[in-house]
Amino acid sequence: MFNLLQLLLKLSSFFVFIVLEIICFSLIVKYNQQQSDVYVNTVNHFTGVVQEKSAATYQYFQLYDENIRLARENSQLLERLANAGINVQSETDTAYTDSLEAQYTFIEAKVIKNSVNQNHNYLVLNKGKKDGITEHSGVVTERGVVGIVRKVSDNFAVAMSILHRQTRINARIRGKVFFGPLQWKGTDTRLFNLEDIPKHAPVIKGDTIETSGYSTIFPEGIMLGTIEKLSLDPGSNFFNIEVRSSLDMSTIQHVYIVRNLLRSEQEQLEQAVQKEDE
Amino acid sequence: MNSIIAGNVLRFLGLVIIQGLVFKNIGVGWEEFPYLHIIVFPIFIILLPLRTPRALIILLGFAIGITVDFFYNSLGVHASAAVFTAFLRPFLLRIMEPRGGYNVNYSPTAARMGLGWFLRYASIMLFLHLFFYFSVEAFTFVYIVDILLKTIVSFVVSMIFIIIYQLLFNPLD
Repeated sequence: MFNLLQLLLKLSSFFVFIVLEIICFSLIVKYNQQQSDVYVNTVNHFTGVVQEKSAATYQYFQLYDENIRLARENSQLLERLANAGINVQSETDTAYTDSLEAQYTFIEAKVIKNSVNQNHNYLVLNKGKKDGITEHSGVVTERGVVGIVRKVSDNFAVAMSILHRQTRINARIRGKVFFGPLQWKGTDTRLFNLEDIPKHAPVIKGDTIETSGYSTIFPEGIMLGTIEKLSLDPGSNFFNIEVRSSLDMSTIQHVYIVRNLLRSEQEQLEQAVQKEDE
Repeated sequence: MNSIIAGNVLRFLGLVIIQGLVFKNIGVGWEEFPYLHIIVFPIFIILLPLRTPRALIILLGFAIGITVDFFYNSLGVHASAAVFTAFLRPFLLRIMEPRGGYNVNYSPTAARMGLGWFLRYASIMLFLHLFFYFSVEAFTFVYIVDILLKTIVSFVVSMIFIIIYQLLFNPLD
């Protein structure tokens, strides 16, 4: 105790110094324009950094809600794209109206189960009949095609992934008329085969592959991948095309389920023609 | 004893008046060359008797600093520098202690300690005071070159005035 008092006495001049300097500096900042400007600027600089950081942290906690909100907004925007509608313009003598009517609607869904390491890979999505999902609907993301819905329950949908040996997507080469089915090779999750491209087609390595729109499942123009390898077997009339997909199937979380509102109409028509032929 | 206190009170008043009324106008009036500020009042802190308690030195430093601030209309700037100088004084005195030690009844004046010792001691004190003062005046080390330039220029001129003061009065205590 005595030692402590002695120490305090020894340090008393230091405390006096500190207290007086604090008084001086508060006086300086309060009564001197130039110094207080510097002080305010400096303080703002540091508190600004802190505020920025805390805002960033706060935003991080909001990310989940924000993702859901963005996914909803995306599905609304996708519906408004030109290729999500059919052109019902009537080209009469005088009037030309360029009106689009919705052909595709997009419903956002979350992937709750996914696999990439089987021969037949499936995805489970958290939307079902209640949300208007039907079988054979397409599943896409903004980066590419994910798969096709196979079975639907009230609340869930199971889709066969594009990483399924039996999934065939009707694809075409962007900007060129040639088309053919795209199928998974079964090994690398990013590698696919594009078939039926005739050898006179002007394809080169790096060409973009997209959906053709010839099926009733996907709208046209959805990205699939790019040509990685191109070869021609002797005697064959078709290219062997290896496609690297644009989408990494192992990381997808939010997807959009495509509903083609005119599918039954188109299919009925096609079936009627087939029946007549038989 | 009483004469020492009276002498220091007179020195306090005289330095404040000459600093606040004469030297202030010389420094401030020179717009073309803003680096020169003649500051002599720290000599009050420099010359305080050796046996003055440390805390009292700091309080007296604050007192003369804040009084000069009233003349300079810069509340706190001179005071903070004076408090700083007063705080450093005991440490500097310990470093510069002569072989025989101090006679605690004396003041650190040229008459008591010798002119050479006094000039070294006073110039270190003044330099530290000016450096701290100009740092606080700028309130940022962004203008460190300006601060050093002001310190050096003002130090040389102020030191001349301190030597003149020494020659004029040659105070014993």
